[in-house]
Amino acid sequence: MSRGTFRFSLASLVCFGLQALPVSVLAEMAPLGDDALSDVSGQGGIYLSGDISINEVGGPVENSYFGRCEEQDKKCGARFAYRLKEDGGWMVLDEIRGKFSFEGLTLRVRSIDSGFGGDGEVFDRDVIELGLPDTVRFSDVQFKLAASSTARPTDPGFQQTDIFAIEMQGDVVMQGNLLVFPDGNP
Amino acid sequence: MTNVRRGPRQLMNGLRALPLMCFAAAGYGDMRQLDDTALSRIQGQSGITLEMDLNMAADSLSYYDDGQAVRLEGFKVGSSESPGQGALHRTRIDIGADASLNLEYLVEDRRIEFSDIRLAGAPGLSMGGVFFDHSLEGMLTIRQGGAVGGNGYTFDTAYTMTGGRLGYRTNGNAVFLDDITMSVEALGVTLDVVGNTLELVSPMVKGNWSVGAIRFSDNPVYHGASSGPGGVPLASYGALESSFELSSRTGITAGGRQGQGLRIDHETTIHTASFLYVDDGNALALRDITGNYRIHDLRLDVDEDWEGRAAVALTLGKLDGQVNIGAVELGSGGLSFGSVNLSFVLEDHVFNGRGYTNALYLQGGGHPDAGPQGLRLATEWSLRLADLSYTEDGNRVIISGLQSWGRGDVTVNVTRDEVRNGTRFYDGLRVGFDGLKAGYRINGLRVGSDDAPLQGGTELLLALGVYPAYEFELDGHVTLGAGGASGDGLTINSDIYIRDGKAAVIAAPYDEGNGEIPQKGLWLTEMTYEGHVRNMTVDVTEEGLVMETGEAWSDMDVGNVRVGTSTDGASFGRLKLQSFEQGSSMVISPGGAGNVCVGGTGSSSSSCSDSGGSWEARGEEGVTIAMKKILARAEGPDKRNAVLWETNRVVDGQGKAINGTGTQLLINDIHTSDGGDFNGDGIDDNTYGIRTDLAVDIYQTKVTKKDSGPDSRGVVGSRGDEKIMDPNAPQGYRYVSEPGQAELVNRPLGFAVKAETRFKELSINNIDLIHRNGGAQTAVFGAKLQNFDIRANLTATPIP
Repeated sequence: MSRGTFRFSLASLVCFGLQALPVSVLAEMAPLGDDALSDVSGQGGIYLSGDISINEVGGPVENSYFGRCEEQDKKCGARFAYRLKEDGGWMVLDEIRGKFSFEGLTLRVRSIDSGFGGDGEVFDRDVIELGLPDTVRFSDVQFKLAASSTARPTDPGFQQTDIFAIEMQGDVVMQGNLLVFPDGNP
Repeated sequence: MTNVRRGPRQLMNGLRALPLMCFAAAGYGDMRQLDDTALSRIQGQSGITLEMDLNMAADSLSYYDDGQAVRLEGFKVGSSESPGQGALHRTRIDIGADASLNLEYLVEDRRIEFSDIRLAGAPGLSMGGVFFDHSLEGMLTIRQGGAVGGNGYTFDTAYTMTGGRLGYRTNGNAVFLDDITMSVEALGVTLDVVGNTLELVSPMVKGNWSVGAIRFSDNPVYHGASSGPGGVPLASYGALESSFELSSRTGITAGGRQGQGLRIDHETTIHTASFLYVDDGNALALRDITGNYRIHDLRLDVDEDWEGRAAVALTLGKLDGQVNIGAVELGSGGLSFGSVNLSFVLEDHVFNGRGYTNALYLQGGGHPDAGPQGLRLATEWSLRLADLSYTEDGNRVIISGLQSWGRGDVTVNVTRDEVRNGTRFYDGLRVGFDGLKAGYRINGLRVGSDDAPLQGGTELLLALGVYPAYEFELDGHVTLGAGGASGDGLTINSDIYIRDGKAAVIAAPYDEGNGEIPQKGLWLTEMTYEGHVRNMTVDVTEEGLVMETGEAWSDMDVGNVRVGTSTDGASFGRLKLQSFEQGSSMVISPGGAGNVCVGGTGSSSSSCSDSGGSWEARGEEGVTIAMKKILARAEGPDKRNAVLWETNRVVDGQGKAINGTGTQLLINDIHTSDGGDFNGDGIDDNTYGIRTDLAVDIYQTKVTKKDSGPDSRGVVGSRGDEKIMDPNAPQGYRYVSEPGQAELVNRPLGFAVKAETRFKELSINNIDLIHRNGGAQTAVFGAKLQNFDIRANLTATPIP
């Protein structure tokens, strides 16, 4: 119970911190080498590697619309629908599938009070540091953007217009750190 | 018993006379002239045989300490099977050729009972009553000469107890251990006076015991019976079994913490032991237990606690030791989670500028609405240091530098399902918390050995629902009822309230080797929490430990989410998390992921390699968790799944942000569904929920250097080099550009997690933006996620 809620909150916080990140700080920040961290206290953290796949062989729903991936007439990807207007239509990300692999995503809390070409001394505060993995590998990542009359594809009167489809394959190089910290009036 | 003799010689004399006093006291209860028939039952071929039916009662037995008294009231000894009748006692007394006193004894169906334990200084309150039924057969040999000289004594004893019951009663309700059997052999036990201390040394005590059932009774008519109306056995929490071989030394000295009282020093070595909890034939087994502990300067007084309340005071100087559990087994397959080791030191220490000690003040009363009988434990503890390690398949991770402190009241009542004096009670043993201010913190993780470098990674404990550091003020209760989902087991009802909480989500060490420093991290502060659980059953089954929750809801309101320290870290604002679940469940079973193909596909090493993956044999031990979380639709503002984030709040005169005065983002009524109304009851079915299967192992992980040059510990390497553990390296590791097979087996240890999460439908009813003056505006009129199956193979490695 609490684990689920925590994950949600942490993800939210990351997003919030990104939104709050001042542009000036982003512009001046430069990578800080491991040696520069040697005199920084409280820097223990975790190092994450692995792979995550979405609907590799299908999802748990089996009905007239969803099925296993070997069933040619069924959709085996995940589906996300939302609407911005009461009684309006639904924007849909449909047939979401794919696999992401990464190595070396780090997470820690860190104090920045030096470095960064002098900006660190001015900055002088604690941050959550997400050390980005060098490479994130996308394998058969795909989804469709669509507009739908109903949230569920099995609801009466269901109609859907696929707008475009995305497929991603290959490596994305992500170097450096993502720093998340509070700003503004809490 | 009304006066305590102070000197050890007097104590020794008293103990010499103790066996005689016991027989004398027993005799007083039923002494009469023996007729010829009765005399014929005394068999004196080689000694004397005494036989009697003992039935005695005393209104009160009192113990005085510095003029303050504790009383055992309603004291009775008699037959457990025939109330009002005597219990048979037969003792054969013989003097051996070496002048030893040999006693062989038999006691049948004896009940020793007292209805209340009261303190003279707390009239009207009782700690409750205790009863102890048993049949006993054994021998005791006493001979002159102890361990240090001729003035002491040496004892050999062995006995078997059968048909035992040990119960605790409050207000007509009872929890008792039923069908206890126990066999104990202790040879060469010595009793000496050493200085001013009476010293009892047991070189080897061997034994085993079992409890057939732990039962709950809410019907005083069937007091002390295993069955209730209609002969139906009372509900049971399960059964227990244990065996042990240990040796011990105990010193008893006159004098309490203040004035009269008792001082106890004790040490025990556990050579081997096992402990099993059995639920309908399925066992949770702790095997190959070894360890030792030492109690230094434990004092017993009749005294007052810090609030001036009369109490039996147990105050501790120091307790330290270590316990190793060789295997924790669960389920029918005989699989093991691995082994666990705990070392600990309990002694006075200063936490957050305040000194804490270890003390327990036993008082009468319990929860004030539950009735006059109950137990109140005014408690203070100071766990100065503990290390907890977990080893599976030979790989070890140590939770290092665990500290805990606290002070407050814990209440214990046996309650029944009722509303009494305005408070809702449930069937079972109720453990209540009353203004308990407590906390704990963890310094970090060590991997491999106790002297390995301290590393981070304590946030990995969040996966077990444990914060790396937590301070709180706690009220509420947990009531443990008898009977699980079927047959034996536990049923839990609880209501927990937390105020002034400070919980770390990410925490750096509080001591990096140079003394205490403020612990930095990501903190949830100014937290209030309210959590309720109804009818959660816990059973040990063939599959593992199964927990099924009838209904659970909670509300966690975090005043500030801070980065930095818990007191002055910058804040992201307020965060409020509400959860509401119905019918959720969890199964915990031993054994981890087994063989895994990471980054590829294949069911063998070769096929995995062919697909570009890495084949990992993670062994037979580990932990597997299968969860089903059913998020229910909202039933009002208190029972719903929702997330609220608030910023830009108005501050009060002390600069503290006032909740509800800012701008809020509300994600409202998050709930699961099966995707339709398939049973035709007019509402969507909700039985599938969010299902997650987790297999966790401690395993070697690949860690590569992210930048060229020296790292935070000065170890030099190039970008992309692998970290290889090397005990001969100054920092315990080095970087290797192309590790060979011999080096790959020394990759650092971490947590390997194989996970799969799937749900049919997860919905959000609405997402609102709320202005303190303008009110709520809905931004998203519903969102629906369908048909998700997310699989992950992750390794999480602590790093310095």
